[in-house]
Amino acid sequence: MKRTLKDRFSRFLKRLTVKNVIIGTFVYGWLFAMVAIVFTPLFWMISVAFTDATNLSQVSIIPNPSEWSLANYIELFTYRSRAGQRFSDYLQAFFLSFQIAFFTMIFVVIVSSLTGFAFSRYRFKAKKKVLLGMMTLQMFPSFMGMIALFMLFSWLGLTGNVYAVVMVYVAGAVPYNTFILRGFMRNIPKSLDEAAMIDGATNLQIMRKIIIPLAVPIMGFIAVTAFMAPWMDYILQRILMQTGGRDTVAVWLFRYMDPLSQDYNPILFMSGALFLTIPIMLIQIYMQKYVVYGLTAGAEKG
Amino acid sequence: MDNKENLINRFLSNLKILFSKLLLKIKGFFIGLFTLIFIKPYELFRSLFLGIKNLIKNIINAYKTERKAFFKGLSSFFIPGLGQIRNKQYYKAIPLFIILAIFIIVELTTGNYIYALTGEIAQYPAEDKLYFFRDYGGFFTKGIWGFFSLGELVRGDMYRGEVIRTFDRVLTWRTADNSRNLLGQGVIALVFLTILGAVWIASIVDAYKSHIKQVKTGMVEPVKQFIRRIWDELFAYIIILPAVILIMFFTLIPFLFSFLVAFTNWTGRIDLGDELIFWTGFETFTLIISDAAWFTFFLDVLLWTVFYAFMSSVTVYVLGLIQALIIESKYVVFKKLWRLILILPWAIPGMISLMLFRNVFADNFGLINQLLANADLTNTVKEILRTIGLLGQGVAGEDGNILWLTSPNNGRLAKAIVIVVNLWMGYPYFMLLITGVLGTIPLALYEAADIDGATGFQKFRFITFPWVLRATAPVIITTFTFNFNNFGAIYFLTSGGPRYESIPNSLRILGAAPGQTDILISWIFKLSFDATVRQFNLAAVYSILIFIFIGLTAIYNLSKLKSFWEED
Repeated sequence: MKRTLKDRFSRFLKRLTVKNVIIGTFVYGWLFAMVAIVFTPLFWMISVAFTDATNLSQVSIIPNPSEWSLANYIELFTYRSRAGQRFSDYLQAFFLSFQIAFFTMIFVVIVSSLTGFAFSRYRFKAKKKVLLGMMTLQMFPSFMGMIALFMLFSWLGLTGNVYAVVMVYVAGAVPYNTFILRGFMRNIPKSLDEAAMIDGATNLQIMRKIIIPLAVPIMGFIAVTAFMAPWMDYILQRILMQTGGRDTVAVWLFRYMDPLSQDYNPILFMSGALFLTIPIMLIQIYMQKYVVYGLTAGAEKG
Repeated sequence: MDNKENLINRFLSNLKILFSKLLLKIKGFFIGLFTLIFIKPYELFRSLFLGIKNLIKNIINAYKTERKAFFKGLSSFFIPGLGQIRNKQYYKAIPLFIILAIFIIVELTTGNYIYALTGEIAQYPAEDKLYFFRDYGGFFTKGIWGFFSLGELVRGDMYRGEVIRTFDRVLTWRTADNSRNLLGQGVIALVFLTILGAVWIASIVDAYKSHIKQVKTGMVEPVKQFIRRIWDELFAYIIILPAVILIMFFTLIPFLFSFLVAFTNWTGRIDLGDELIFWTGFETFTLIISDAAWFTFFLDVLLWTVFYAFMSSVTVYVLGLIQALIIESKYVVFKKLWRLILILPWAIPGMISLMLFRNVFADNFGLINQLLANADLTNTVKEILRTIGLLGQGVAGEDGNILWLTSPNNGRLAKAIVIVVNLWMGYPYFMLLITGVLGTIPLALYEAADIDGATGFQKFRFITFPWVLRATAPVIITTFTFNFNNFGAIYFLTSGGPRYESIPNSLRILGAAPGQTDILISWIFKLSFDATVRQFNLAAVYSILIFIFIGLTAIYNLSKLKSFWEED
């Protein structure tokens, strides 16, 4: 049944009561106000990123396309602090962060799917205590621990090593992801395992051929959160990477925002931040449907 | 009249119920506390004692009844793997030998025993006391020695007729002790030795049990069967091994190190190499309570931390709920579009948003100050803020920008901004979550309510809100604990500033005063990393306090989740 325009209009008129108009005005007023609040700082960020100004005072508050310039981006993509560097400082930092994020994602998915499988499918001694212990240990504020990690890495000559930092992130991410995966995997009926077992499947085969394929959506969520986490984690990267003479993008950003640093330049910071924000924003928005899913998966049963 | 009395009566009875509920809660809390402090340790010691008693009894029993098996276990007690060889299980013995060999080789190659044997001790005799493991021990023995002593000798000390120096390549024992490194090495050594001990005990038990089994079945288990059995039976242990190893190295060892620092006197003032760190027991714990100025600061920061964590969770939740309700209401068209737009703050990485807002609220040329100046509203806003008690900066009518985040007089303003910025960043998450939950409420509930003639507000009050609250309660607590430790929200936005107007001298000497927006975790960061402060032991003490608080909350939260404790 297709409604004509006229139908729709008459229906609209019918609903146009005083009460509805007042509520409607309020609702849309609220929504537009929220949109304004959300967008004002973002627009400002964009207009700062695309100026050739050297000082925030010279930036117009409202984006003005006629004044736009790519000067900041040219600097971002060409400035090399050391001669003979293949990429600019910013890009190098970006690639380093990308490396860290990528390997963190891979290892988190592998390790936590193994542990998640173990915790959802097997009975073993002190199972709950191990899981609870892992998760509680994670809550100890990590700054003092970082001093220990720094010592450990210095002894082993690992400061500035990508994989070493990745391992720290993986160790940090595994307990919670195990918890989520365990919650998800135990909703997969045990009868599937049993049927496979009767057909002579081994433990490894059950995991690889039955459970993991069924858990793909939740593992997608875990992969994306694991990939996102290292981008904006600053302190650990400062301690373990910067001392090894390598900047990640988070360290780079902070250096340009730190008034005590000699590189302090909020305008360049805005351009670098904007460049980084856009891909991350797109991934996050694409992944939003998994948020509710991932949050409830660990908690609820059935 | 009657009605009024009725009302008062109802009010009183409600109050009574509330009061008795409260009383029960308090009673429960004290009972819980009592159990935690007195009963639990008692039970622990009792079970420990009983366990040891049982163990001894079992060993004696084994000696009496299964003498052969007992001696096989005993040979594994001397060298892990020996009992397995006597059981003719070479496939078990060899890995055990290899593990032991690795430990011995590491110990020997990192140690200097060879010099001790070739006469160095005779050449440089110790007049007073010879620290054998300090001078010649390998990784493990020196680690253990260092763990308990935290070093003995520093630069300039006379020892064995020589002067201790910063570093000596030839006579390594002339190198000064670095307490921090010794502590770290000690922790690592202890963890590894614990593992060795566990393997050792397992080998004893295995040698004993295997013998009994062999007598029963009359055959030695072949290699292939053994491997298959282990793979099947221990599959769960094998696949959690990577996680356990990672967590041991990168979580457990750092945790033990920082935990132990709380019981030392290590601060940045101790010049490692020239001075030693000592074990001080609970001295640092008592310091934070006994020093009045310090304690008030601590309480101030603690109160603000709790307030911040509470407010930032609640505001975010409420706005998220309002947003979700409005977008889902029948008045709004293009729901998806609105949701997409309003979700943007969540999609932006937190560190970037926070540093963006640092610019937005910058003193000069920040977005807000520019906007206010353009609209000529600076003074009006100043007046408003002053009236509601947020602004303390300058006198009324004074010119100049509002110092949102930097003026010592504007502490409350900075705190408010911290919460507002957190709201900006955090509400979309709850909007998403609650939108999802709203979809799960059965429509039948609303239909029934319509039949009963409920108003819109009543439907919200009695159907929507309870449903949403129940579904999201664990997430609220998680958010609270997250915000309690939300280091970035403070550090990237305000760096803890503005500073306090007056800092008592006792703190000025330590240089460790927090800023007005510092929460515990960011204060800990300052205490441990700020180059001029470095109160490592204090930072560790606060870390432990936070850990206890957060850990208890998390365990409470998990205990409410029935699914966590269900056996499967």
